[in-house]
Amino acid sequence: MSSTEQGTSSAAPAEPTTAPESAAAPEVPESFYYVHGKDKVVHKVSAGALQHSALIHGMISNLGYTEEQAKANPFPFENIDGDILQMVVDWCNQHKGKPTPPEDTNLPKQKEKLFDLVLAVNYLEIKELLTYCCKQVAMMVKGKSPEEIREIWMIPTDAEDEAAEKEAKKRAGKEAAGETAAAAGDAK
Amino acid sequence: MPISILSLPISDLQYALNCMEIDELIAFSLCSKRTKTLVKDAKIPIEPIHAQIYQNYIILKIRSSNLREAEDESYSLFIYVDFSNPWIELDRKNGMEVWRKEGFTQSDFIAHFLNVFNISMIHALSIENIEKPFLDTVKQIIPKFNKLKISSDCSNDVAKMAFSNLSPIATKEVAVHQNLFDNENDFSKFLTRNLECAFFIDYENSLELLLNDLLVANIDTLYIINTKITEKELNRFLKLWMKGSHRFYRPKYIKLSLEKKTEHEEVFRGIKCDIGNHERRLKRADGKELLISILLTYVIFEFQ
Repeated sequence: MSSTEQGTSSAAPAEPTTAPESAAAPEVPESFYYVHGKDKVVHKVSAGALQHSALIHGMISNLGYTEEQAKANPFPFENIDGDILQMVVDWCNQHKGKPTPPEDTNLPKQKEKLFDLVLAVNYLEIKELLTYCCKQVAMMVKGKSPEEIREIWMIPTDAEDEAAEKEAKKRAGKEAAGETAAAAGDAK
Repeated sequence: MPISILSLPISDLQYALNCMEIDELIAFSLCSKRTKTLVKDAKIPIEPIHAQIYQNYIILKIRSSNLREAEDESYSLFIYVDFSNPWIELDRKNGMEVWRKEGFTQSDFIAHFLNVFNISMIHALSIENIEKPFLDTVKQIIPKFNKLKISSDCSNDVAKMAFSNLSPIATKEVAVHQNLFDNENDFSKFLTRNLECAFFIDYENSLELLLNDLLVANIDTLYIINTKITEKELNRFLKLWMKGSHRFYRPKYIKLSLEKKTEHEEVFRGIKCDIGNHERRLKRADGKELLISILLTYVIFEFQ
């Protein structure tokens, strides 16, 4: 389970000299939610950190779960690998309540991890992290030639694209024929 | 499992493309038809493309309109297109690189750049100098452009040929930095072209201007630097303009820089006009006005 030390720190009262209103306001205990990915490992995350995700924020905003209810009902993200979800949770915790910096250098450099992170972040609707990830994707081909880009980003040639398209059409045709045959069988 | 960039959601891919610089976008667009379409659909804004012709090659200058990059001239990408070889050379941050694409000629490369950046034509074509036989090649590679500039560095022969071959395909502006006009190259005929702007300058050989040239001009803005025209011809032009009520006259602005100082009194002899500090205003019966500024060797006509 992930630590949320950084998440809870933002609930500390502000300095009276800079923000007297918040100092006077009663301290509200921070609520926590639980998420898990494909590996079923549950991560405890503060509501403040989860605000980065438009998807999760939308899900939890009207739930009003108690700590026990939240623990008993972790949000399942079966389409996200455990290590990728861990990265996302860490990023949300690190950037909780802070203005996002113009660059983030802590993103994975490996292509597969980065692409998986983009897919996850896109799904969870974390706009700022998505921006960093897309910049990181663009950085992968900085100063590269067309041939190098083709290799790094695994871009098929026109001939490969055409062959794949033909194959897809052929498969779709076969599937359609199979369905028609099955429907005719059912009718008999 | 390996993953290809093309499997990313389209919006993320477009965002990544928006983070790339012009040379990387071109490299990506050359990978396949799909990547070309992706760059085109990203609608990356770029500044108008300039092409300079030297001897036997073209230098294309492509520059992002992105504010971050536009502040610094070093962000311009220079692409060299050799008339004799079907590849391009790029001046990138790490040095010169040669890129080839199977089946691509020089004109295919240029058409590709225009297509991916959603531009209809090269903005400005500047002939710095060129070997005569390549003039047709230029026309073939760059069949249309907005502005043509013929530099004073060209020989008069080449400049004349460039003018006759290329000026008819310039859609908006022609600037010639040497006097090309003689019996073979009729200046009056050129002035009838439908252009937004024309600019002629040659400090060594003045261009002789006649009344008829001014009367037939069909160019919005016309600059002729170092020209000869008599006060009498200017006077006749003004009188004819006054008489030409309800007659269409295209030019909006004509600036003449004369070889010699002009006598105001001669220019305005017999013409009734409002006199200002440095300018005089003529009013025609149809309500049109002409503001004439004469300052030392300059005569400026502003048609209002």
